[in-house]
Amino acid sequence: MSHHLFILSPSDSPLYSLTHFSSKPVQSVSSPLASNLPSWSTSAFAGTLTSLTGASSATQSHHAQGGGGSGVRMGGGQDRHVIQMIANASLDVIEEVMRRDSAMYLKSVDKFNEWTISAFITPGNFKFLLLHESKNDEGIRSFFNEVWELYVKTTLNPFHTAHTPIRSSVFDTRVRASAKKYL
Amino acid sequence: MSAYAQPHPRFSVLSSSSLSSADHSSPTSTTRFSYPSAPSINTTLVGSPKPSAVRPNIYDRPLNKTRTAEVSSSAFAFLFSEVVQYTQKRVAGITDLERRLNTLGYRIGTRVLELMVWRTESTGKAPKREIRFLPTLMFIHTQVWRAVFGKPADALEKSVENEDEYMIIDNDPPITRNISVPRDMSSLSCSSYTAGIVEAVLDGLGFPARVTAHNTPTQQYPGRTVILIKFEKSVLEREEAMSAK
Repeated sequence: MSHHLFILSPSDSPLYSLTHFSSKPVQSVSSPLASNLPSWSTSAFAGTLTSLTGASSATQSHHAQGGGGSGVRMGGGQDRHVIQMIANASLDVIEEVMRRDSAMYLKSVDKFNEWTISAFITPGNFKFLLLHESKNDEGIRSFFNEVWELYVKTTLNPFHTAHTPIRSSVFDTRVRASAKKYL
Repeated sequence: MSAYAQPHPRFSVLSSSSLSSADHSSPTSTTRFSYPSAPSINTTLVGSPKPSAVRPNIYDRPLNKTRTAEVSSSAFAFLFSEVVQYTQKRVAGITDLERRLNTLGYRIGTRVLELMVWRTESTGKAPKREIRFLPTLMFIHTQVWRAVFGKPADALEKSVENEDEYMIIDNDPPITRNISVPRDMSSLSCSSYTAGIVEAVLDGLGFPARVTAHNTPTQQYPGRTVILIKFEKSVLEREEAMSAK
């Protein structure tokens, strides 16, 4: 069971991303480190095609137990670039919704195969996107709230500009801790 | 105190920069930025009993407003005076100066927006953003002004001639209270800084606009300033579409 968080600037440039493997439901994940690495091999590309057509993604996600020779696998059995693409594709929907909905937390704003996308829009038009597979409304709300607080603290730093990627290790640790607590 | 003999590198940078700027600044203001101020900065900042203690991380500090976090208006007046002098030394003309002040204000505005909305909304169950046009202007007129200047602005008006222009009027802007503009630069308004703040807030909330500041002195209020907001066409079109629904 994995979660993917992306923080995007108003011009949609990526500022921060996090992959979190939830410990709550039991599902063995081979090695978070290895699966964090992007893979551009042809086999990974084949995975993209099948998952995009949606034909075999469900079976893939529940039976890909890493381990073997299947190489780089992301939480639900999908590759990193697919995850990124799903997240970015949801921006169209989010921009549509945020024009008429004044809530910052947009829950389950978009869906793609087994992935649900929830979003959080800060007043300054920064977007937090979270890809998740399970329903966890309250947890995600609390998680976004904590990330928001951390994010506001980051922006108050005079050396931070709207388009600087967030590289602070403390920020990273705090977000991970928060993800562990709520997701 | 050992802090004087061996200043922390961080503060030595601070004090040396204040020295050099004092050298360059105009004769009228040098006396205000005299050297003794540097040690006093050291005492206030290094005043903790353990100089070797690690400074608290920015993520450990609470974001809520505290009484001690308030800055005196004279401290700000000095700082802003330096900002204007620094900027003026690096520009060709008044337009350029105003544009730079606007850019500096913009950086403040993005932070003000995020912080003040966090303070009001984060405790609620469902935090909200402002998405309508007039409430956003009212929000700037009242809340943003109160957060930045400690009082609401004096008026919010719609231009009679142009559909897309709105004006926020401040009869006595606190940031220019101590500024007397020379006669040959009379078109300069240092409130361009405020205009930058307003522009950032509007931009953040999704209402891109061009914001400028203009002096409009009256008999009663010699410092009266108009912050003129000229919205982009898309903003008005969107507003029309929203009210049509």
